[in-house]
Amino acid sequence: MTGGTLDGQVTDALDGAHQSIEYMYDQGWTDGLPVVPATRELVDAFLATTSRPADEVIGRLDHLKREVSVQLAAINAVMAGCRPEYFPVVLAAWDALMAERSTVGGGWQSTSGPAPLIVVNGPVRRRLGFNATGGVFGPGFRANATVARAIGLIVRNALGVVPHVLEQATQGVPGRWAMCIAENEEESPWEPLSVDGGVAAGVDAVSTTLLRASEFVDNRHTDDPEALLGDFADTISRTGSWIFRHASAGVVFCPEHAQMLAAAGMSKAGVRDWLIERCGRSEADLARAGKNHVHGNVRRQSDDGDPGAFHRYFADGAPKNLPIVVAGARNAGISMVVRVFSNWSGISARVEPPRDGATAPAV
Amino acid sequence: MFDRILDPTGLPARPTNVAVAARRVPSLAGARVGLLNNTKRNAAQLLTELGDLLRDRYGAVVTIRRTKPHVAFPVDEPMLKEIAAVSDVVITGVGDCGSCSASAAADGIAFERVGIPAAVIVSDAFEVTARAMAGVHGDENFEILLTPHPVAVLDAEQVAERAAELVADVADRVRESAR
Repeated sequence: MTGGTLDGQVTDALDGAHQSIEYMYDQGWTDGLPVVPATRELVDAFLATTSRPADEVIGRLDHLKREVSVQLAAINAVMAGCRPEYFPVVLAAWDALMAERSTVGGGWQSTSGPAPLIVVNGPVRRRLGFNATGGVFGPGFRANATVARAIGLIVRNALGVVPHVLEQATQGVPGRWAMCIAENEEESPWEPLSVDGGVAAGVDAVSTTLLRASEFVDNRHTDDPEALLGDFADTISRTGSWIFRHASAGVVFCPEHAQMLAAAGMSKAGVRDWLIERCGRSEADLARAGKNHVHGNVRRQSDDGDPGAFHRYFADGAPKNLPIVVAGARNAGISMVVRVFSNWSGISARVEPPRDGATAPAV
Repeated sequence: MFDRILDPTGLPARPTNVAVAARRVPSLAGARVGLLNNTKRNAAQLLTELGDLLRDRYGAVVTIRRTKPHVAFPVDEPMLKEIAAVSDVVITGVGDCGSCSASAAADGIAFERVGIPAAVIVSDAFEVTARAMAGVHGDENFEILLTPHPVAVLDAEQVAERAAELVADVADRVRESAR
């Protein structure tokens, strides 16, 4: 049946659903995909999953005269398609993002159009069904997809950073508002990322950083760990990603690569140290890109200098300059270099544990 | 039915818009000019050229030059007051990125609100975001001076040419006689 209206009232539930979706498009509240209507009842179910008051301000951009409350975050999380029990993860992801220098500066408005990479650690991954293995960057998993999308809707709606208006991305980043991965802790030889972020292993935590790109390193070609890391160093060191004196990049290792490096006796810090030493370019290479001279902190063209000098890519071996995560399936040697916008805050946010008596109604 | 759908923006139903334009100076002869550089590449050079042209052609005098501590944010209160104290008119820019173009518009409005006529220079690639920011700061019709994009890659001679193209508009923007 097509349903219809009676005295202006929608008499068919599906008609009502469709009209609601169109209404929210008309309001300019969506990221281009349909959103779920946030009703008082549903938002209250989300708010019941956290001890934080609905009016607590969890983010603000004073220069835009906008702020985000727990309640606004909940409304946007509903719209993104989250289940209520995901909401503590959304809040933790938001807290982690607010610890990033760029997100409280002009990062959301930037022409570089960065996007958060959200990394989930701890038992919450299984409890809520976050994907940590095959296709970890891809779609198909509600928790991953909707938590990332919720962050994007908060930025758009609550902070008011809308594309073509206050958001001025030249091209933006593929996967914007869609990159939420769980770490494959079960197949990682190393401590989880959240430990680098100051949270004990086994505790639910979320880490985020802003990315400008992700690019694969497919290496099923060598059993020499140094040859393997050399392949990563080549990808990391490309000049196009390099605008200031130093840059940052992370690696999301697949289990196969991580296990191969660990079997050779390398810790995460050992991998970092190896890459810090070798990632970079000669001044002659940088000169060909107009980036051979550092003026203030910005790279510029110069006719002076030593063409043979080696410029290191990373400032130092701190995890915030080179975060390392293990995720994906153990079925091939395919990892991802992620281009960090400025650097990672180095701070992971704990996820509030499920509250006693909190119930999650069917959605 | 739709009134049951909660608003995700937190915005008030009716945004307030109160245009406040400072009184223009009667003449630029002897007028004190403040230059507020937003740190974008070539901004300082363009402002310096404009200051020189306002001096040579209109008899104005540059009394203060300041650089914003953060390109993305509007000028803070102490710097605003410091500049306003010794300026009759202010020139700011160059809006040449996502966040700084927006904040340049906010800077101009802030100066107008303390009674200083302001010329805000923004690259034309960022016109929409600068105008949107003007709306955020309560004056959606605030007048912005546009210069062709890009500015950052110009050499010194080209920057001087830009200043020469802009100076009459800058003068008209801040003085009474032309309005």
